[in-house]
Amino acid sequence: MRRLLTALALAIVGAVMLAGLAGLPRPGDPAAPVHTHVAAHIVAHGVEDTGSRNLVTAVLLAYRAYDTFGEVVVIFAALAAVMVVLAPAAAPPPGKTAPPPSPAPAVAPSPVVGFVIRLLAPFIAAFAALVLWHGEALPGGGFQAGVILGALLVLLSVVMGRGLEQPLVPAAAARWLQAAGPLAFAAAMLIGLAGAGAVLGLPAEPAWGRHAVLLLLELGIGLGGAAIILGLYLQMRGH
Amino acid sequence: MSALFDLVMLALLLGMALAVARTRDLLAAAILFSGYSLVMCLLWLHRGAPDVAMTEAAVGAGVTTILFLLAIGRTGRRER
Repeated sequence: MRRLLTALALAIVGAVMLAGLAGLPRPGDPAAPVHTHVAAHIVAHGVEDTGSRNLVTAVLLAYRAYDTFGEVVVIFAALAAVMVVLAPAAAPPPGKTAPPPSPAPAVAPSPVVGFVIRLLAPFIAAFAALVLWHGEALPGGGFQAGVILGALLVLLSVVMGRGLEQPLVPAAAARWLQAAGPLAFAAAMLIGLAGAGAVLGLPAEPAWGRHAVLLLLELGIGLGGAAIILGLYLQMRGH
Repeated sequence: MSALFDLVMLALLLGMALAVARTRDLLAAAILFSGYSLVMCLLWLHRGAPDVAMTEAAVGAGVTTILFLLAIGRTGRRER
């Protein structure tokens, strides 16, 4: 009886979803509502409005900068939540001396894996830099560069075995790096207020000013994202 | 050709999603999910969204898999 009811409910939900799917416009249809609303304006004026040749970047960092700001804050909040939940177990109780440095990982990564990661590391880092720097002209940008750089840092800390005890950068500096995304947006908001009279507006006057603001945002999102991914990994690995 | 590619990829996606849902071995589920993300990345690329494909490959196949593995290492490998 229960199975029959479950199957019936699934069939009804599936039928409603398929009916909705049938009403969607064909992918790539130029007459679809999504392409006739604001997209036409962005395609026609995006380059002169924002100075960015990549329209995806123009939407993410100029037209819809508030949404991107929200995403950056969400990622930052995720790291903060993981730290709050996992930190008490990892930190030594107050009043006691720090625990002895943790021994080397029980299973050392194979020399082949370590060698390949070391060999690939500079190329991955160069690719991340290219994706960040050319985000305004090619597909890519801060988020993509941040996750590529973050994945590289995680890979390296898997083979190098650095832990929370011997951090690469001092803890205070790491906190600032992890907050780089929201901080960059705060700076861009102030610049926008002063230069364009609107929060997150792009200053129109010096031609390089808009590029500088976009690059600042990309840098903040990228470095902040990489630091947050590494922080998540280190927090979850613990001791 | 293009439609055939889509069909093969979608069949792979469906198979991997079912396998992730059915397996009781969480390590196998994490690895299968990583493969799911890689196929999804190819589909994004084929749809003309290289930025999403890049994010899918790095986040979906890379970072979340490592976080899953860490969580499995801290808890247990078998689903109860």
